[in-house]
Amino acid sequence: MIYIENDSTDPFFNFALEYYLITEKNLPEDQIFIFWRTEPTLMVGKYQNTIEEINQNYAKENGIKVVRRITGGGTIYTDMGGWQFSFITRGQSDTIDFSKYISPVIEGLKKLDVPAEFNSRNDLVIQGKKFSGNAQCMLNGYTLHHGSLLFSTDFEQMVKCLTVDDYKIISKGIKSVKERVTNISDHLTKPIDTDTFKKLMVDSIMQGSKEHYQLTDTDLARIKAIAKEKFASWEWNYGKSPKFNITKTGRFDGGKMEFKLDVNKGKITDCHIYGDFFGTMDISVLSNALIGADYEKESIKKAIAQGDIKQGFYNINVDELADIIC
Amino acid sequence: MKKNIQMPKLSEQMESGVLASWNKEVGEVVEKGEVLFEIEMDKVVSEVESMESGVLEAVFFEEGDEIKADEIIAVINCD
Repeated sequence: MIYIENDSTDPFFNFALEYYLITEKNLPEDQIFIFWRTEPTLMVGKYQNTIEEINQNYAKENGIKVVRRITGGGTIYTDMGGWQFSFITRGQSDTIDFSKYISPVIEGLKKLDVPAEFNSRNDLVIQGKKFSGNAQCMLNGYTLHHGSLLFSTDFEQMVKCLTVDDYKIISKGIKSVKERVTNISDHLTKPIDTDTFKKLMVDSIMQGSKEHYQLTDTDLARIKAIAKEKFASWEWNYGKSPKFNITKTGRFDGGKMEFKLDVNKGKITDCHIYGDFFGTMDISVLSNALIGADYEKESIKKAIAQGDIKQGFYNINVDELADIIC
Repeated sequence: MKKNIQMPKLSEQMESGVLASWNKEVGEVVEKGEVLFEIEMDKVVSEVESMESGVLEAVFFEEGDEIKADEIIAVINCD
């Protein structure tokens, strides 16, 4: 096993690094280990519906990044008070096994007297509370196993990001499972800081081995390109969501308006509008304008910023409409 | 000759999994070894390669459906 030092805290870069190693780099070693962290980020499972899982407005207002993983499972919040670990292993086993990747992590934690154990969802828990979520994918002849470690993560922020506005949504996306969480630092007999924790965990998992690979300028250039084209793109993070149906309701001075939207591959494919609002315009002008737009605020504003829609409703403006729809 | 494609069983305990995405559409040519679909179970995403070459003739489930292991999910016409 070789170790790759990765000081980047950019989630797009860090996921691009994993992806690059799996799909392009083809290092000769059988197993690669990376230990990394991110700025405040919401990481969504590969087949989840992003808007169903996160508080998009809160994330936007607070500069929290949103990125879709290439692995399964639910949504997690990560910040500089936590760590992520990745094992990239050559070969795809026919059967699923999490324990061989998680056991070295449990061993490392035992050295710090942290009583960690597995639960039935392949998460790691201390006294029944989760501090590590794990997920995998099998891609291009490799198995990627990555997991999170909550060390001193801001739970207040976590809860705010993951509390979704109250609206009705129907989709076949994989749903997240809410669990009680805990920080590792609350269970240490001797306090250590996050950097010391990283060093101890890396040393334990690498079993003292200093084998490592240093990313070259060529590697970095490709990884940055993948980060930009794939992991930071709206198409990947929102457009890849499974098709869904969403109902959004707004109450304006001019009346109540309800939107029922079908969204497929990130685009609005059907739209029905109901309510007791007053307007001079046939409502189908608005629904037709919305069909074909990306389910994203700026795209929606652009779609409805037409003269007759702007003036078409009594006491309802375009910005208010866009805020309700998305 | 027509070949049935089954939902793979990825572990002893696996009873069902989610058909996460189709990488081919009905009517498309599929080569042996190409990724035909992806499944998700227990937080693991797996690409499933086609064991046959032919034309994808029919699919019986759509993306997001939960399917029992070994159930027939598609047919490939190998002629």
